[in-house]
Amino acid sequence: MSELFVEKYPEQARLIRLAFTASFIALGVGAVFGLLQALHRTDILRIVESPTYYTLLTGHGVFLVVTFTIFFLVGLYQWAVTDSLDRGPVDPRVTWTWYGLMSAGTIITAVTILAGFLGDPPEVLGSELSADVLFTFYAPLQANPLFYVGLVVFVVGTWLAGADWFRTWLAWSRDNPDERIPLPTFMVLTTMIMWYISSIGVAIAILAFILPWSLALTESLNPTLTRTLFWYFGHAFVYFWLLPAYLLWYIVLPKLSGGRLFSDPLARVVFILFVLLSTPVGIHHQYLDPGISEGFKFIAMTNTMFLLLPSLLTAFTVVASMEHGARQRGGEGTFNWLRALPWRDPAFTGMALAGIVFAFGGFTGIVNAGMNINYLVHNSVWIPGHIHTQVGTAVALTLMAGSYWLVPQLTGNRLVNRQAGLVQVVLWFLGIVFMTNSMYRAGLFGVPRRTAEPEYSFEYDIGVGSMAELNVQLALGGTLLFVSAMLFLGIMLLTAFNDDTEPLVDGTIPPALSGPEDSPPVLDNLRLWIAIALVLVVIAYIIPLASIVDRGGLFGPDIGPFPVFVQITDAIPTVFYSLGALIA
Amino acid sequence: MRISPPRLLLIVAFVLVVFLEARTVLAFFGVAVSPLESAIAAVAVIAVLVYWGTRPVDEEPTEE
Amino acid sequence: MNIHTYERLWIVGAMVLIVGFIATITYGSVGLGITMIDDEEETLAPDEIGEDERFADPRVEQVGEDEYAAYVVAQTFVFQPDPIEIPADSEVTFYVTSRDVIHSFTVVGTNTNTMVIPGEVATMTVEFDEPGEYGVICNEYCGAGHHDMEGELTVVEAEEFDLTDLAVDAPDEVEPGEEVELTATVENGLLEEVETTLTVEIGEETIEEEVVVEGGTSEEITTSVDADDLGEGDHDWTVEVDDESDGGTVTVGTDDGGDES
Ligand code: HEM
Ligand SMILES: [Cu+2]
Ligand SMILES: [Cu+2]
Repeated sequence: MSELFVEKYPEQARLIRLAFTASFIALGVGAVFGLLQALHRTDILRIVESPTYYTLLTGHGVFLVVTFTIFFLVGLYQWAVTDSLDRGPVDPRVTWTWYGLMSAGTIITAVTILAGFLGDPPEVLGSELSADVLFTFYAPLQANPLFYVGLVVFVVGTWLAGADWFRTWLAWSRDNPDERIPLPTFMVLTTMIMWYISSIGVAIAILAFILPWSLALTESLNPTLTRTLFWYFGHAFVYFWLLPAYLLWYIVLPKLSGGRLFSDPLARVVFILFVLLSTPVGIHHQYLDPGISEGFKFIAMTNTMFLLLPSLLTAFTVVASMEHGARQRGGEGTFNWLRALPWRDPAFTGMALAGIVFAFGGFTGIVNAGMNINYLVHNSVWIPGHIHTQVGTAVALTLMAGSYWLVPQLTGNRLVNRQAGLVQVVLWFLGIVFMTNSMYRAGLFGVPRRTAEPEYSFEYDIGVGSMAELNVQLALGGTLLFVSAMLFLGIMLLTAFNDDTEPLVDGTIPPALSGPEDSPPVLDNLRLWIAIALVLVVIAYIIPLASIVDRGGLFGPDIGPFPVFVQITDAIPTVFYSLGALIA
Repeated sequence: MRISPPRLLLIVAFVLVVFLEARTVLAFFGVAVSPLESAIAAVAVIAVLVYWGTRPVDEEPTEE
Repeated sequence: MNIHTYERLWIVGAMVLIVGFIATITYGSVGLGITMIDDEEETLAPDEIGEDERFADPRVEQVGEDEYAAYVVAQTFVFQPDPIEIPADSEVTFYVTSRDVIHSFTVVGTNTNTMVIPGEVATMTVEFDEPGEYGVICNEYCGAGHHDMEGELTVVEAEEFDLTDLAVDAPDEVEPGEEVELTATVENGLLEEVETTLTVEIGEETIEEEVVVEGGTSEEITTSVDADDLGEGDHDWTVEVDDESDGGTVTVGTDDGGDES
């Protein structure tokens, strides 16, 4: 058994533990909000007023897909870089700086969101402290400026983290001039390239338009432009959630199955494809937007379909590696090898179940990507169905499963109760199937997403079954997920304090069956891939952006702010005004 | 035990999932199965599985 | 690079699948002529909606034979007009814009669904074959009352569809011995002429009158009743044409005493 990570790199282990702590706190809060949403939407239990539902939903989105996923990512990537390069960062102060920036940003943003629960939020920077704008913050909905400031500080932290890893790698390659980039580091670097290229979009949206406008420095903005810049970033953002899970599937899962990664070169190809294709597809989130021509939507659609390729390749490699592992463990037969896999290990089983759910979610993603079918499902509750199968399970469950393997190495403590871990991952799997099955079905009948009260004065035309049944199923699934999340956090907490024990893990990663020497060195030419990615981005985005600016102006056709917090009071006169207008 | 508890747990989970999804698929083909019917069927299958899985191994040889 | 045979097969299969998807979707949108929401319309700033002749008065209008336009304004947290009435089996183009934040205009259970972005005008042309009532909702979060934003779309049988508007000019008071004169202005918003029946009820009397209104014009129809036939007192009247109606009360005589009718 190799030396434990925590013994070899105590400071790195501490940083990663802190990153995971932030991540898990966010998971806990997000899960509580998720449960409340599930019960509120279905009208089973409503403990907040419906307008406050959107405070919950903003928190749920931000804490889960920004804080939980990205703090886990930086922790995992810090581990991957350190472990695979066998060295720490060049300057640990930089490392702590990015951790500090990310934490500060999170706290600032979290405060603005949570203040939404106050009956009478204080006034800060000229407007009420509140941010019920959901994680997509589409202008002209407006949050308190601090909400955006926090996001910017957080993102700057991630940029610095990327720079830190690049620096570590450069230092390493000076010492190892002729070596190929170790696969885990390769994955980290390519993910960060993708992140740099894409997060520019949201940074411009916030810094040039939304933040000055929320501070009343500029008077209006162009909502189509800020929305397009958001989605320029948005799809790469979803891959930013996904790639840490991919890293675990490629690096850790084969080992857990008892074997080795099938092919290192193809893993590199997959990550390069993500660098190239994850940004020039963002317009597929805007198929229904006016102001963007059909041609650009068509280009985004074709690019999106090609983006299936890396995921299909991954499916192959993951299954092939698992089969290889099973056969090493004595598995035989066409399908019987499945029985030889280590199903009692929650780390393995969690990732395997996550993989199954991901395959299913891939199909629903193809539906979303289809320009015409999209009209049926766009913004219906089908979309949160897709979100929870993908980031909510393929990613979240993989990260939780990975924690079962990684946390003992980071703490030096034995994982408490593996059986409970197994129950936890199985509960998540069940919960997600129940919840998303209901969401998918309801979505097809037109039930909308992002709403506190999805029932209106008309009846939905539910083919088979009833709305009541779909509601019960959603709430049941949500409850199972919640219980599972709490169980996970409990196990983690107990493990963190499970001192005086020896972990039962072996942290060594065996080399791939087909190693990097089988791949052309050009795969490691990061400059080349950056250049091609930029060209693709320019092709896919310059003309649409130019056309949007040309149509609506940089600062838009005179659009004033709609701070969300005044809307409760504003709404009433508006409704009366409109009723009056209708009657007159 | 004829089957280890982790495997039994997984199989039970898959049975639930298969029943749930089967209902959706059948609905797609116009066959309506009520939630109660599918719940009863699933519970029955699971009960049989658990009964079989937890019986002591007598004459049959074990694998594993 | 050495790639396992199975993996090669898998890659080929994956590419075939991807190209297949693109082909089906291309066929679906180009071959079948399904158009998407796009940038066809000029931008329109929210504060110019009031001066825009399409949206100043949100409504449904006939623009050609079996072709209609519906001008809809979305704002927190209503749609105008509401309900929207359109004929079945006709091409209806919706023009939707927003007065404030981003909304959607979504006809539940159909693929009539578009984002409504302030500054932009979304257009989509649809044809409903079946008469019926549909819920219209906003499915883009637009603020605290988002879940209250709801409208109605009524699809009526093409033959029964009209764009008739009715205005009635009637006196409040008439001296005994004079005539009670009701002047109904029937406006026909359709392009074709309509033949319909105007029904006037006053007191015990019912008068039916056939009217023919040319497309895009209006007709004035005057009916009169002898005040003495009604007798002194208050008399309710109603005027109906198609599904429009108007009503009021006329008083015969000056004594505000009893109710004789
Ligand atoms: C504890 C388990 C969870 C429950 C019960 C839950 C429940 C829900 C529900 C009911 C919605 C729909 C709200 C609506 O559209 O009105 C929702 C939205 C969402 N959930 Fe979850 N969820 C859970 C876990 C997660 C996880 C782990 C993630 C991601 C890592 C996640 C990410 C999201 C996102 C991104 C949305 C969409 C937010 C938006 O529309 O702005 N959820 N969740
Ligand atoms: Cu996307
Ligand atoms: Cu809305």
